[in-house]
Formats: sequence, structure tokens, C-alpha cells
Amino acid sequence: MAALASSLLLLFLAVPIAQLISAGGAAGVRQLASDTELREAMSLTALTATAATLLGALGGTPLAYLLARRDFRGRAVLSAVLDLPLLIPHPVAGIALLLLLGRESALGGAMIAAGLRVVGTPLGIVAAMLFVAAPLYISGAREAFAKVDPRFEAVARTLGDTPLRAFLRITLPLSRRGLTASAVVMWARAVSEFGAIVVLTYNPKVASVLSYDRFTSFGLREALPVAAVLALLALVPLTALRTLRGADDGATP
Amino acid sequence: MIECRSLGARQGSFRLDAVSFAIPTGQYGVVIGPAGSGKTTLLEVISGVVSATSGSCWLNERDCTALPPEARGLGLVYQHAFLFPHLSVAQNIAYGAASSELAEEVARRFGTDALTSRPVRALSGGERQLVALARAFARRPSVLLLDEPFSSLDPRRRTIVRREVRALHRAWGLTTLQVTHDFTEAGLLGDVAVLLDGGRALQSGPPEDVFRRPASPYIAEFLGAENVLAGTVRVLDDKAPDWLAGESATLAHGYRAIEFTAGPLTLYTVGDFPVGDGYAVIRAEEIVLSLEAPTGSARNHFRGVVSELATLGALTRVTVEIAGVPLVASLTTRSAKELAFRPGMVVTASFKAMAVHLC
Repeated sequence: MAALASSLLLLFLAVPIAQLISAGGAAGVRQLASDTELREAMSLTALTATAATLLGALGGTPLAYLLARRDFRGRAVLSAVLDLPLLIPHPVAGIALLLLLGRESALGGAMIAAGLRVVGTPLGIVAAMLFVAAPLYISGAREAFAKVDPRFEAVARTLGDTPLRAFLRITLPLSRRGLTASAVVMWARAVSEFGAIVVLTYNPKVASVLSYDRFTSFGLREALPVAAVLALLALVPLTALRTLRGADDGATP
Repeated sequence: MIECRSLGARQGSFRLDAVSFAIPTGQYGVVIGPAGSGKTTLLEVISGVVSATSGSCWLNERDCTALPPEARGLGLVYQHAFLFPHLSVAQNIAYGAASSELAEEVARRFGTDALTSRPVRALSGGERQLVALARAFARRPSVLLLDEPFSSLDPRRRTIVRREVRALHRAWGLTTLQVTHDFTEAGLLGDVAVLLDGGRALQSGPPEDVFRRPASPYIAEFLGAENVLAGTVRVLDDKAPDWLAGESATLAHGYRAIEFTAGPLTLYTVGDFPVGDGYAVIRAEEIVLSLEAPTGSARNHFRGVVSELATLGALTRVTVEIAGVPLVASLTTRSAKELAFRPGMVVTASFKAMAVHLC
């Protein structure tokens, strides 16, 4: 009974993607050569996801380290706050960001005055991706740091390292694989984001918005190649993750 | 110098509680105690890796309580070595080394120069410990903290490395504090022994004193004293009685002749112990067994029946039942064979008054 349920679930998860790629994959790849809008959407998606991931790693790495290593008052609250974007519906996340960064808000107004327009620009896409995907990076990075025994750092400190130097020379290299895997997960999540992006920046279109746009404007036949190319793009981080997880971090005494 | 003054710390649910002791400059201290007594935590607090919550820690006349580990000028070697797995053996030893020449020299002294081409992950537990020792020494610390640093070495290598560590300790004038489970090692290496249990320092002093004059019956039993008897103390006299003739000490320092009654046994000893209930500790190696009636200068003689023999290599432990009270004596296996001890045999157990320690 359990085997049957598992098999059915496996089929339910795998068949739609396989069907999508087999039905539209080849056409989608061919279309990449001729369809400028699709090409631009794909490169915009990859670029904004990369920018969001870099920003997420920059701000998220110290946060993850803090959560993994230090025991402080309010740690549980901070953890919960960081998980919140994963739990709310993504259009709601988009609306929340619009409230913060839209021209009506103080921050949005100040940014526009400084020449930085977020809503309706690639910056809005990056903001939406960062908001919904950074918690995944932080959570993964926290786990990666927790796997490295703090006594490695302790020894480095007694050998003359400052906390920053011990982090850079010991903890960072030892958690490198885990951090990279977390960044890949964040990038994949950013690429697949739709709900928050569509509220902040409909145009220029990222691939997910383009596939939705083609579906609502022209129907399934037009949307299929775009959707299939997006599914193929998701295979890139999946393969990277498999390769990374194949090897052990090895941060044991 | 390493001096802890009422040092307290918390690590998870474990608490180190008002630990006080001092290891003078250039001396070798050993920390002994049961598993979970806080030995590793103590080293971590002294090194600054774990923050002290109370008290103070002084290294070489300097209050280091608030200093970070990198400013304390010490070396720390964990039992599990914690070699950096992404670095080579040579890079591990050179990490924080005072100079590359010194790194090479200590690598040679600990025999790790032959391991440089091996990846850290491929090293055995013993080899890792050697590299960890070389890495700590290469920094040329003035204080060295060692947590069971020889536990994975084979007995032959352990003796050699122990000698090397002791030689460097002397040559460089280091102050060393080593955690060990091995009482022999504690006796061999230590100038000062600190006994830790439940996060508290129960007793500290020269190892000879701690082993021969434990402060409580619990310490005596932990340190392997086989004969710990509960009883009552009665002071006989403050003048040296006849039976003290031949003893290795006289009634100096306010010592008095004491009669100790433990059930059917009456023992004689000397000390400054107050009248009332107490414990008598007699180490097994202090008890002499003979087949004949008591002879010699020992004050305490009891006839009893051998109930058990246990041979542990070169030593044999013989349990003698004296009016229902078991006393364990330790003698060489050769002597036990020569005297042909066997269960049921009637023997005489003798020990000097000075062999009885009251606590």
C-alpha cells in the first residue's frame, strides 16, 4: 500500500515536468535562436537571480554564522523572522515590498530622488528574488556552519588568529561546499519566482512572467516552449547540487 | 604560571564552579578526574575559547580573564587533534608558527616530518596527535594546555613522545597543564596534580600528596585506593609512643598517635585528625603479606584468610579477609608465586602506622 502511494506520488511529481520538456523542450531551444523576447527574458532571469544570490550571500553569510555559532537573546525570534518570507504567499511578499519600496513610501521616494527606481525595473526583480529566496540561503548556510566543529576555530585562535581571520582561513573553507549548495538553492528559487516579481516588476519580463504572459495572451501552445526552457534551466542547479552533495565537507576532527 | 582564582564558566548545562589552583612557572601540572568532570572545559576557559563567568585566570602574572585566545600566548592541543583537514600536514604545523625553522625543528622532533606528503584525512589517530603537538609547539607558547595528548599513541611511542614533551617543557621553561586519565602518567609528568570532579577542584598539590593523602574517601577511591575503611578516631597521646620506632616520620607538626577502629579492626596511625568519625585509606602496595607470625617494625598486623587472587601482569592483588573485613594487598606476581598464595591460606597482613592516611 505504502509502495503504491509512493509510486503514485513519484509519477505525479515527475510526469508533468517530463511531459513539459518532451512536448516543448526542443521547440523552446530552437525558439531561443529566433525569439528575442524569450532570449532577453532568460538572460534577465539569470542575471537578476545571480545578483540576488550574491546579495543574499553577502548579507546572509554573517547572519547564518551568527545563528549557527552564537547563543544570544532573541535568536529564536530572529530565526522566525528570517523564515517568514518562506511562509507567506509570494504575491503578498510582493505587496509588502511594494509598500516599502514604492514611490508612495518614504524609502521608495528617497530612492527615486537619488535616481534609484525599484518598481518596474530589474532592481525590483532583484528585490523580489532576494526577499523570497535569501531565507533558503541563510538556512542552508547556517546548517553548513553548524557542521564545522567550533573547536577548529578555537585551535586557530590559540594559534594567533583573530575571529575574522579564523573564519576566513578555517570556517569558510571547511563550509565551502555547504555554502555553495545553499547559494545554488537560492539561485534556483530566485529563477523560479513569479508571485512577488509580478507585483513589483511586470516589465521587463523574467522567464516566469513571460511564460504566464504568453499563456494568458496566446494560450498553451505559445506558452509551452517558454515553460519548457524554464524547466530545462532548473536542471542546471539540480545537477550542480548533486555534484556538490556527492562529496563530504569532512569538517571532523 | 597558570593560576585560576575561583574560576567559573558555563558550557551548555555544565558548570565549572569556583575552581582555584596554581601551577608555578616552569612546572608541569596534570588535571585528573572522571569523565564529564570538566577537564576539557577547564582548559578551554584557561585558553579563552570559553568565557569565564566568574573569577579570574592569570597567566605569567597577567590577568588574562578578559583577553581573547590569540592574545594569551598559549598553545592548546585537543585529544582529537582538530587538524585543519583542508591543509597539508606541513601547513598545519606552520599555521601560526613562530618561524618556519621552528616549525621544521618541532616536526623533526615529533617525527612528523615523514608525514608531510600524506593528506591529513589519511593520518591515524596517533599521527594526528603528533601533528597537533608539533603545531602547538611551533608557535613557541609560554603556556601549554594539553588534553589527553597521547591517548591514541601506542605504548612505545607514548613513552618517547612524553619524554620529548617533557624535554621541550624543561628546555623552553614552559608552564604546562595536561589532562590525563592515566594515573601513572600523572605521577610521571606532574609537578602539581589537580583533581577535578563535577566542575569543582577537589584537591591540588604534588601528585604524591594527592595520591597518598586524598582529601576525601571519594577521592581515595577515584584514585584507585583499594582499602578505604569507615571508622572512629581516638587520640592516644601527643608523645611518640614506642610503636613509632622505625617509622619514617615522628610526631612533628602537631601530629599525635591515633587509634582508628573500623568494625572488628583496630589500626594505629599518626596525624592531626580530630576525634570522631573518619575514613582510613591504605594503599594496597603498602600492605606486606607473610606466611609467618608478624615480624618487623610495622605497627599494624592482622591474621586473615586469602579469599581472592587477581594477577594483572607483573602485579598480583591478593584479598585477605580479616574478621570479615577485606583488605587488598598488591605484590609482585613473582613474590605471590614464590609464597604460593592460594585461597583459603592463612597469612599475616602488615602495614606501618605511616601507611594509614585518615580523611
